[in-house]
Amino acid sequence: MMQSKGYVVGARLPASGLFLKPANGEWRHAGFNHPFVSALDYDPADPSTVYVAAGNGLIRVTNGGESWKILTGNDVTELQDVSVDRNAPGTVYFAHTAGIRVSRDRGATWQDASAGLHRKYTAALRVDSRHSGYLLAGNEEGVFRSVDGGKSWRLAGAAGFHVLHIEQSPHDPCFWLAGTEGGGLFASSDCGASFESAGNLGVGRNLYDIAFDPGSANRIAVGGWGVGVAVTEDRGKTWELRNAGLPAPSVWSVVFDPAHPGRLYADVHEEALYVSPDAGRTWRKDGLEGAAVYRMRFVPEAAR
Amino acid sequence: MRVAAWLLLLLAPAASARTPEYDARVRSVIAAYAHPKAAGPLGYANIAAKLWLHEDAALCSRRLDELLAAGPTGDMFWMFPVTAIAYLDGGQLSSQARTALRRSFKTYMPYRGDTENHWLLYYTSLYLMAQMWPDQEGSEWYTGKSSAENRREAAEWIEGWVRLTTRRGQGEYDSPHYMGLYFLSMSYLAEWATDAAMKKRATMMLDYLIADYAAENLDGIFVGAHSRVYDNPVVEKWNNVSSDFGWLLFHLGRPLDPPDSYVIFYALASAYEPPEILKRIATDRSEPYTHYERKRTRNRWRFNDELHGPVYKTTYVRKEYAVSSDQGGILQPIQEHSWDVTWSVPDPRGVHNTLFTLQPYSSLYELETYFTFPPDTSIAGVVSSKKSYDSPDKLVGGSPYEKIFQDQDTVIALYDIAPGTRFPQINGFFSKDLAEVEEDKSGWIFARGGEALIAFRPLQPYSWKPIEGGGRRLFSPYLKNGAVVQVAARAEFGDMGAFRKAMVALPLEYHVEPAPWVRVRSLRGKTLTFAYGETPRVDGKPLDYERWPLFGGPFVEAGVDSEQLILKYGSMRRTLDFRKLTVTDTP
Repeated sequence: MMQSKGYVVGARLPASGLFLKPANGEWRHAGFNHPFVSALDYDPADPSTVYVAAGNGLIRVTNGGESWKILTGNDVTELQDVSVDRNAPGTVYFAHTAGIRVSRDRGATWQDASAGLHRKYTAALRVDSRHSGYLLAGNEEGVFRSVDGGKSWRLAGAAGFHVLHIEQSPHDPCFWLAGTEGGGLFASSDCGASFESAGNLGVGRNLYDIAFDPGSANRIAVGGWGVGVAVTEDRGKTWELRNAGLPAPSVWSVVFDPAHPGRLYADVHEEALYVSPDAGRTWRKDGLEGAAVYRMRFVPEAAR
Repeated sequence: MRVAAWLLLLLAPAASARTPEYDARVRSVIAAYAHPKAAGPLGYANIAAKLWLHEDAALCSRRLDELLAAGPTGDMFWMFPVTAIAYLDGGQLSSQARTALRRSFKTYMPYRGDTENHWLLYYTSLYLMAQMWPDQEGSEWYTGKSSAENRREAAEWIEGWVRLTTRRGQGEYDSPHYMGLYFLSMSYLAEWATDAAMKKRATMMLDYLIADYAAENLDGIFVGAHSRVYDNPVVEKWNNVSSDFGWLLFHLGRPLDPPDSYVIFYALASAYEPPEILKRIATDRSEPYTHYERKRTRNRWRFNDELHGPVYKTTYVRKEYAVSSDQGGILQPIQEHSWDVTWSVPDPRGVHNTLFTLQPYSSLYELETYFTFPPDTSIAGVVSSKKSYDSPDKLVGGSPYEKIFQDQDTVIALYDIAPGTRFPQINGFFSKDLAEVEEDKSGWIFARGGEALIAFRPLQPYSWKPIEGGGRRLFSPYLKNGAVVQVAARAEFGDMGAFRKAMVALPLEYHVEPAPWVRVRSLRGKTLTFAYGETPRVDGKPLDYERWPLFGGPFVEAGVDSEQLILKYGSMRRTLDFRKLTVTDTP
């Protein structure tokens, strides 16, 4: 869980960075105050190790959030996304302002993984949960796919749209969704090989997050500005805006609780974190008032 | 004879010591912070100044403890003051305060920032702190990296920045505000780096950066164009950090009161006094000259194939005024200032001694090019600190619809604004301090700023809007637009009447459809032709941007990718070679 709030470099920074909430516990700020955190992922072999894409670089967080080590140097900045390869121990990818990097030794060394991409700024990145080295990346020119660990890339869809987020279904690993800046949602049903427009949801708006409900194969939530929270119960055939009870349709992030089917969290820009017990039909505050939460992840118990 | 020769050798180092006049100015800056006029608790700069003077050590220790206990804040703007304190300590601080200072580099993680000055401050400070506390494990630093790793990473970045700057120019170039942060960073390394190469490199960079400013100053004022400047100082040009450095380094103009905090940290570290050749370059305005520079744009994250694009600057300077410009376009987001006329005044405080035009551009495209903000909060985020960014009457900012050509003291600024642009207009700044302003029936607007006679020819109809704080804004709501500007010294014509007669007699042709185009005979006898989006021509010959130097002109010379700089004044020469880290003076 991360929070960054409107801030100018050099100004006094309110509590920002990484926030943790244990099961049946309260939110707590963990580790350093940092104004720029975009995404996180954990090492499935050791969920107590979390990788954070941050302004200062790729940060490895351990010890319940309290021990941080910057794994990158002076050659990357303002990281946008991070994804751990579930099928290649120690392999971590991150997206940054000038491309994609990969480490195959848990962050000790890094190599470029964006050769062949015309435009390098990459906002979204995911490693296929089934295949080591199969990657989906979103940049200002669309969704791109690599099947060789980032050595080469091919346009998969959403051509001409700036892609803000990519997510893979945990139920059907061949089903992917990509949220864009202005272009709406794009879907792939062929394992990420191609993406096509998934309708009008979010067209003319910006879609920042996508969440698949681990407890319900056809339920998906999307968060965005102007859209707020949109939920489908039929795997994207139809969408319903579920914003009743939210103070504004300005949503950065959404996530389903894997332990409670239908429990959905959404962050409303500088308002608070909200939780819904019924997949967005009703909402109540769940802390972090005033926050802008850019990404939320459930991490297995060992991480805490 | 042998005894006399040894004596001369022993005395030689004294020749490099500061001159008494310079030393007095350094001490006055330090005194202003050590003994501030305003009451209130000491800040980091006050503590550092007192430590430099070796006074009030107990008070400094106590106050430093308080500041650190309240929690560091400010990122690299916190790092550089406390780094100075660490180096000025010299055993004066209490062990408790010293320990707290060291501990803060373990418990506080400064953000590295997103501008060139942020990174230079961050890595300069990290380099020096890692040098001060070598051989410590990663667990003792907020980075999680050892002292050696931190120092190596910082050194690599600083060396890379020097290499890039001496090959392609700065990205955050010629900022009359942020220049102070580059000066102080190099002052730190020149004074406190123990590595001989780093120390030498930094000292040479001080010559380099000071030369960059010296050739483009008028009475200490940094004349345009600028990568970054703030709303008020863009018109009250004295009200910039450059005034502190003009006064400190060259005894030019008047410093801010009190001096800005950047100059104090410069003074507290090396307080490097520029060599005689730089003093001559900064102060000799006996002959008009044209100075050329190539810089680079800020990092362009999106919408471009190259990380940086070139910036082509032209600056004409004479004792009465200066005219300076870049080629137009978005070279830096938000605070770019692309051309102006600056005239000399005896006392610039409160004076708006400048004239310029711009297209007040504001767009998500610009911000997404240079920043990583999410699109929905980009403009609001910028406006939270740069209040005028999304304002139609603003007076700073570049535009993709602005193209500029300058030859000596003639400027042609053309605009071809895309339909649907947020603020489809041009703004012209006409100062409250202009005299003899006349809207001539010929279509020219004549005015005098100090001893500078200015002719301004708008290409489209306009109206006047008042400006808060004085002066008028020329407002012209036409998409295809432009202005021709010619400046001359009153001494050349005697009075405005003669200047007017000469200007009206000059051949001028122009049209604005289908795109703005101008052909004008300048007062300097050249035919200047400029069509929007095309290469300008001087007497029919196209301007050769390919051969544009990193520095060119009578005083400073450097080729692109050369990693060298030659300072020139009369028969004096100083050559800086950053590849060899050598400085060669002749004679």
